[in-house]
Amino acid sequence: MTDPTSPAVRTEHVWKTFHQEAEEIHAVHDVTIEIARGEFTALAGPSGSGKTTLLNVIGGLTRPSKGRVWVAGRDLTEMSNPELARLRLEQVGFVFQAYNLLPVLTAMENAEFPMLLQGIDADERAARVGELFKRIGLDGMEGRRPGKLSGGQQQRVAVVRSVASKPALVLADEPTANLDSAASDALLDVMRELNEDLGVTFVFATHDTRVMERCRRLVRMVDGAIESDKVRS
Amino acid sequence: MSGGAWWRIGWRNLERHPKRTVITALGLGVGYFAVVFLVGWMEGIAAEMVENATGLVSGQVEIHHADYRPERSLYDTIGGRDGIDVEATVAEVLADPAVIAAAPRVYGGGLLSSGESTSAGMLMGIDPDLETRLSRFLDELVEGRLPQVGQNEVVIGAELARQLESGVGDELVVMAPGADGSLGNDLFRIAGIYRTGLTELDAAFSVFALEDLQILLTLDPGRIHEVSVSTADPWIAQETADRLAVALTGGGMAPEVVPWTELRPEMVEYVSLIDSFYFIIFAVVFLVAMFGVANTMLMATFERRREFAVMLALGTTPSRIVLAVLYEAVGMAVISLLVGAAVTFPLMIWFHNAPPDMGWLYGELTLMGALMRPSLRVEYNFVIWTQAAFALLATAVLAAVYPAVRAARVPPADTLSGS
Repeated sequence: MTDPTSPAVRTEHVWKTFHQEAEEIHAVHDVTIEIARGEFTALAGPSGSGKTTLLNVIGGLTRPSKGRVWVAGRDLTEMSNPELARLRLEQVGFVFQAYNLLPVLTAMENAEFPMLLQGIDADERAARVGELFKRIGLDGMEGRRPGKLSGGQQQRVAVVRSVASKPALVLADEPTANLDSAASDALLDVMRELNEDLGVTFVFATHDTRVMERCRRLVRMVDGAIESDKVRS
Repeated sequence: MSGGAWWRIGWRNLERHPKRTVITALGLGVGYFAVVFLVGWMEGIAAEMVENATGLVSGQVEIHHADYRPERSLYDTIGGRDGIDVEATVAEVLADPAVIAAAPRVYGGGLLSSGESTSAGMLMGIDPDLETRLSRFLDELVEGRLPQVGQNEVVIGAELARQLESGVGDELVVMAPGADGSLGNDLFRIAGIYRTGLTELDAAFSVFALEDLQILLTLDPGRIHEVSVSTADPWIAQETADRLAVALTGGGMAPEVVPWTELRPEMVEYVSLIDSFYFIIFAVVFLVAMFGVANTMLMATFERRREFAVMLALGTTPSRIVLAVLYEAVGMAVISLLVGAAVTFPLMIWFHNAPPDMGWLYGELTLMGALMRPSLRVEYNFVIWTQAAFALLATAVLAAVYPAVRAARVPPADTLSGS
């Protein structure tokens, strides 16, 4: 069971170490952080700073080498793989840099995929996706396959996919990296709107200044460790 | 997530690379065709062999005096020295629902001479009318006609005619030991010449009217050596023989009723041997197909590692990924089966109803003493068709298991980060 009063994310002395031949590389270096529900947070830093790895650890896609991680009050480090899959399904939404829509599914089917996995009935799925599509300007594109959508449209479908199942948090890894300025701005507007209107918690891994500027909280990472953690007023 | 959604994903994935799907489906479909056709052809050979071995001369069931076999003595006629009511016995045999023809026969050994030429052979007395309903060897005489009762006529094989340098209309002196111990001899005219293609038969058997041969062998009219029986299906001969044995026992007659399966055990063993090859055909064909499908599925799933990683990241369980790939394999099997059926069944119907004549390739041949028609006749076997369909399905699914497990083990974080 998740605890609605608990923070969306909490990590405690998290390390992630990779072994390359005889060398140990600490991609995440003793990170302790708490992200409250409803936050709009950016993990910023140059390539190799460990932001994507930390995002993957928080999302249960990879296990920390040391330390503990809680998502919506649940300790990920104690979970089996199927339990992690269940947690990702119910509590975490993902937006990837390369959109990563399933090419054999339409925009509508992609957006409702997590809800299909959750067993939500067709009417409810259609209602939720329909409303979100309308809100972010994808109305009328439900039947298109990803190959027939622009990069910005695909990323917006990915955003709908990440929030439609009502997760505790959405993890977005460089969501604007493949988009031009206009598409990036439009996408960030949509995400901010969803954050403000629906209270969805967003955590970005980014080195895009436009993303950093829009986030209320900016966590800077260098060499796998948190260098600074600032909240804008 | 409902099974329907996974089916939809599976089908659409098959549509992504139509050429690859069609080529793989063709591989499996041709495998299905190969199994069904090869088994059908082997069954055709076996059926032809049994049909010719039992239908050409001997029949599917033989009724003799209990001591007649194996010496086939002239004296061991059905019913002993008193003989039987031949007409009534044949009628009783024909009353069995499985029997389609029955004919009495008398056998003896003798010498046939024409001019300077002499040849030893088997003398066979028949009722021409009943015999032609039972056996096929006299169906199409190459020359002349069947012997008529009381005319002292004989029909001989083409090979014997060649050896005796005789033809239709020529006279033959026939000498044979009689049942009374005397040496019978008489003059017969050649009424016809038959040719089966089996040299040993064409050289050995001389066919007389039953009554004429009985006179030559000094056998009373009720004394015959055999009633040969033809059944609707060679494979019901044993049950038919058992029934006839019960029906004919009594009234001083205790005949031996033997099916061809007992008279020609080597042929039964040969058919069993052919049956055992089916498994080998299944195994070889579908094993080869399995590697082909596994290769394609491995390639297909490897190309989609990123998609599987996304599915896993979104909360799909590994077992669901395995199932999704297996659904795809089942879809592939269904397409393959349709392709296979479209290729197989028209050819099976053609090769069953109008088998191509292969005489140009291997001429006439004999197998296990049976004359084989030089054709590519196939037999229908619905059980094999069904088994092959299930084998195809199993092949596709088994071939997909390893690729499916690999797909389910894709590490999402590493795959999505591109490493």
